[in-house]
Amino acid sequence: MNQDNQQVVVVPCSGIGKAFGTVAREVGYELCDELRPDTTRLVALSKLVLGDKEARERVRKCPTITIDGCKLACAAKLVRHSGGAIAHEAAVLDSYRQHKELKPDGIAELNAQGKQLARVMAEEIAEVIDALLQGSSGGSHV
Amino acid sequence: MSSLPEKKVGVVACSGEEIAEGTVARLAALKVLNEMRRGQTVTICLPLFLAGGEGDRAFAKFHPTITIDGCDLKCAAHGTETYSGKPAASIVVTQLAAEHGIDGIQGRRCLNQAGQKAVEVTADRLAALVDQVLGKDERQDAAAASEKPAEVDDSSAVCCSCGSSIPVTVLTIAGRSVEVVALPVIFEKLRETHRSPGEAAIRELLETVKIYNDVVPEEEASWREVLTREFTAYCQSEASR
Repeated sequence: MNQDNQQVVVVPCSGIGKAFGTVAREVGYELCDELRPDTTRLVALSKLVLGDKEARERVRKCPTITIDGCKLACAAKLVRHSGGAIAHEAAVLDSYRQHKELKPDGIAELNAQGKQLARVMAEEIAEVIDALLQGSSGGSHV
Repeated sequence: MSSLPEKKVGVVACSGEEIAEGTVARLAALKVLNEMRRGQTVTICLPLFLAGGEGDRAFAKFHPTITIDGCDLKCAAHGTETYSGKPAASIVVTQLAAEHGIDGIQGRRCLNQAGQKAVEVTADRLAALVDQVLGKDERQDAAAASEKPAEVDDSSAVCCSCGSSIPVTVLTIAGRSVEVVALPVIFEKLRETHRSPGEAAIRELLETVKIYNDVVPEEEASWREVLTREFTAYCQSEASR
């Protein structure tokens, strides 16, 4: 197994207009910086907009997890547009529906509930990553 | 009464998640949108130029747009120009930071002191460019700002254009297919003052369309012809209601 196959790519949305986009970004950092730093790789969505060759190769070769802040699902759409196969598609709105007490607020600076929602999501996705890497699951294709 | 959307400056940040300078770009954009030039600026998520619809892609045609990129890849500038329209101006954080002797920006999740300084410098440059694009005197603005109390930062209310769907009409002009921005709103507004497509109405129509669309002088006659036909049809349709 080469290094790419041992890594899962994480692509959060770049949402700048709503707090849910900031939660998506925070989930990406929680996963890649804290929970699974050795087995994940963050790819900036803006690079996929640009058509950056390295970023496109990465989402094509590695199992990719998208994290979207709103129903427009830019991260998932752009990974598909780049030829990538999504191993797991996460949506902040879906998680929020399951954790109504964690209402995110603030774009530049998330409130405590928003950060907690990001942690909860990241922990759930970390389990998906483990399963993907162990090969015991194909992930949840949406 | 219908009204044309107010002309505002569009701000598109790369928000690059991989590097600290991407976070600088994002936070500087938000500072200008929320605090420094609130009400004069509007934003859209960069990926929507590909993932969104025609209305999203019309953003930079409708709003004179300033892009902010974290690095020399210039994803926001190139992406905006490719999918929406040529930016009026662009900023690259790494270049601006170097100009100001800011070194060692780190912390993509939580910026260090250098990163925070870069946010200030980038926001100042962006605000100045917004003023330039709007044709305002920066000194007047600075004086006005010093007389007014700082606005409260309500970051949940950033002026976001995602999915706002600026109307786009595809017309054949000068033998090619052209996306004309805001035409239904322009027609509606024009008909409030001109009940029929007379000479004055058509002159005003063309001038208004030129504000939101790139009409090159050599194609102006074709635009006039097509717009006259479309506005005449619109007026007839409205009159028969």
